[in-house]
Amino acid sequence: MIFNSLTFVVFFAVVLALHYAPWFSWHQKKINLLVASYLFYAAWNPPFVILLWISTVVDWWAAQWMVRSKRDSTRRAWMIISVVVNLGMLAYFKYGEFLLQNFTALAASMGIAYQPPSWDIVLPVGISFYTFATLSYTLDVYLKRAKPAQHFLDYALFVTFFPHLVAGPIMRPTELVPQFAEPRRATAHQLYFGFALIILGLFQKVVLADGFLAPVVEKVYDAREGVPMMLDAWVATLAFSGQIFCDFAGYSTTAIGVAMGLGFAMPDNFRFPYAAVGFSDFWRRWHITLSSWLRDYLYIPLGGNRHGPVRTYTALMGTMLLGGLWHGAAWTFVVWGGLHGLYLGVERWLRGKFGGWTPGPASIFALGILTYVLVNITWVFFRAKDFTVASTMLTSMAGMAANPVPMIALLPMIYAMVIVGGIVATHWAMRDKTLEIAVERTPAWLVGGLLSIMAIAVVAEQGKGSAFIYFQF
Amino acid sequence: MPSSTSSSDPPKGIVRKEGALPAGLRLTASDRPGQAQPVPTRDVPKQPWGRILAAVAVALVAGVTALELNARRLGLEAGDLDNSEVAWVKERVRSENADVAIVGDSRILFDTDLDRFEALTGTRPVQLAIHGTSALTLLEDAASNPNFRGLLIVGLADTMFFQPFDGYGEYVRRRGDFTSPSGRIGIEIDHMLQRRLAFLDSNHRLSVAAHRLDPDFRPGVEGPKHDIWKVSQVGEQRATWMWPRVEYDPEYRARTRWAWKGFKEKFPYTPQLMAKGHARAKAAVETIRARGGDVVFVRPPSAPELRVNEEAQVPRAKGWDRLIANTQSVGVHADDLPPDVQNLTLPEWSHLNRKCATVFTDAYVRRLAALTPRIRLRANAPPPLTRVDCV
Repeated sequence: MIFNSLTFVVFFAVVLALHYAPWFSWHQKKINLLVASYLFYAAWNPPFVILLWISTVVDWWAAQWMVRSKRDSTRRAWMIISVVVNLGMLAYFKYGEFLLQNFTALAASMGIAYQPPSWDIVLPVGISFYTFATLSYTLDVYLKRAKPAQHFLDYALFVTFFPHLVAGPIMRPTELVPQFAEPRRATAHQLYFGFALIILGLFQKVVLADGFLAPVVEKVYDAREGVPMMLDAWVATLAFSGQIFCDFAGYSTTAIGVAMGLGFAMPDNFRFPYAAVGFSDFWRRWHITLSSWLRDYLYIPLGGNRHGPVRTYTALMGTMLLGGLWHGAAWTFVVWGGLHGLYLGVERWLRGKFGGWTPGPASIFALGILTYVLVNITWVFFRAKDFTVASTMLTSMAGMAANPVPMIALLPMIYAMVIVGGIVATHWAMRDKTLEIAVERTPAWLVGGLLSIMAIAVVAEQGKGSAFIYFQF
Repeated sequence: MPSSTSSSDPPKGIVRKEGALPAGLRLTASDRPGQAQPVPTRDVPKQPWGRILAAVAVALVAGVTALELNARRLGLEAGDLDNSEVAWVKERVRSENADVAIVGDSRILFDTDLDRFEALTGTRPVQLAIHGTSALTLLEDAASNPNFRGLLIVGLADTMFFQPFDGYGEYVRRRGDFTSPSGRIGIEIDHMLQRRLAFLDSNHRLSVAAHRLDPDFRPGVEGPKHDIWKVSQVGEQRATWMWPRVEYDPEYRARTRWAWKGFKEKFPYTPQLMAKGHARAKAAVETIRARGGDVVFVRPPSAPELRVNEEAQVPRAKGWDRLIANTQSVGVHADDLPPDVQNLTLPEWSHLNRKCATVFTDAYVRRLAALTPRIRLRANAPPPLTRVDCV
């Protein structure tokens, strides 16, 4: 189920009631949470719960055997079993059709007319997220960075804990498993602030992303005919930058609020990314739990920055290409990742070249705007359903389209630009703060007023919209 | 405020670089490369949260009350259940073993009174028509339903039937996406609230209403003002009828007529496209008949203002007449009904008003009962209706 649904409202009310019911022991409450989490997942497609069980059991035993074995080769074998099982499931469900399509195209290019069987495999929601979460467990144990979980129930609950299960933040076992060791109970203020975070997250998702920004994006990116004018192409792309941020940051904020209401802490996943100056800064602020996962389990093992510049640039590009592919089984995502790899590589080279330069405030702002514009170029490949659409959009954005037509009405355009402008301005105002500090410095009447407006707007928008964009990844 | 979800002690192994992190920021995984991440820190800002949330709750109640009052002022009513993919899929499941099911576009959807149908025959048909959707798409979907062996009533507007697009019903081919347990539970909760609250109408969501304020200032753009606004109300089991405001509000009615544009937009209905449509229809009808079901066609009325353009694009001889002959089916064309059920009221030219929908249903069901043994009038069926019952 999704957070912006009435089903979830009822579900969460029941979970809260059970979690704070005085007659359950902590052990029983953990079982309640585990069962609730399986129900949360099964509410999409019940059979896919089996995949969660496979992932849980395989990684639990792999870690146990890794610790028990004395020989490195045995430890390595168990680590490889875990990686193969997890990535195997991911590859089959997420990349099977993509691989088949590419194989068919390759065969056709060699004159072989191969007709593949139809691929009717449904992508299990959240498989990319929980696969990475469980993989980090066996990899941390293998790398001797962490000890295995003491109790199977705690580990199973870590894998399945519903706030982070289907769209992150991608949690590491060391972040969550210890929290299950002792009874968790939110204070009244934590519960209330959790609700405030839920309102903020749902407002971002339901009102801003789905209600006001998505229609502007769809109008241009999903247009059946006509080439957009330069203005329309830019507005749609900027609107998408706002939509994807509000969609995903909204999910993360809601998830953090839900977990906080139950007494658990979840990590930040966004740190005002549209105020980033440079791309390494952007990736320290955008989808932090994914970028740090890729850094720790891909970039560093590939050599990181320890083996000379060539190896570093290769590792950087390889990590970003795979990061792109993680988002979706399509070459457009690979190009998106490749562009970010290129940006990071160029930035690294420039830092080496101009390492002594200290930019002033104006330069920082200019570099920040440049970063935002270049990030928007990459969003074109992220949003476009194929390269034809991406090419059309980039041509229009460059003002080089032949016979372009206007596509977005005046008022939706104004709404989109006000919202996106507001997001970017807020990110700059908050770039060196946390949300909590900003809230603390705001008068209570204003906090209450803003939350009231957001809550009413969520109800008025009704939240009957689509699932979160990141669910498809 | 220290909290049980925060940890004030820096976890072991954290790489702390003095000055690396501006004051006011907390560490995240991005600041701790290559290590097992510790339990995260989550603070609660100092605020009177109890009072703030209480104020939010009061404001929310006041806001919902205002939304509800405004909705009723606009003519929205509680009990209008809205249409949705999940609601359609729910009926699609019900149709598996139904005696009678209806497919088609918005005309048969609006123009069929399910209660009247049931009163006449003792059978309540399953309503599967979808606005803005080719009946051909839904006819083929019914053919793909191996359990359906009943009578399928295909209602169509000729131009919509032969167009090569699925229209709004493009989700029909992806109906598996709308069968999740959460979707089914969600729609039950949604309907429970919609039976009591009028403002929960997707046509009047905040963003939809805000977009409609567009002043049409930008030349060359068909803004939200040009989109179709609310035209229908939906009851239980997708029973659908015209929203009363289209009938009683001349301005709103004029706007809806304007939105249809007189069906003047010409789509190239080439001979090849028409032949393809006929072939698809024939194949689907034969599939249903081969397993013991049957298919009949109904062509609801449209006003002369639209009819002239419909006829110019898909003439009756090339569309309806050939469809009936080609599929060896029986059908009821509105033009062929008795004179006392002609010239029914079509407020926005395309759909009958609610009362006339009952009259039309009465007329076409009686005609079908004479044409096919699969529909029988009850012995105690109510007396026939005529135009005077709806004017």
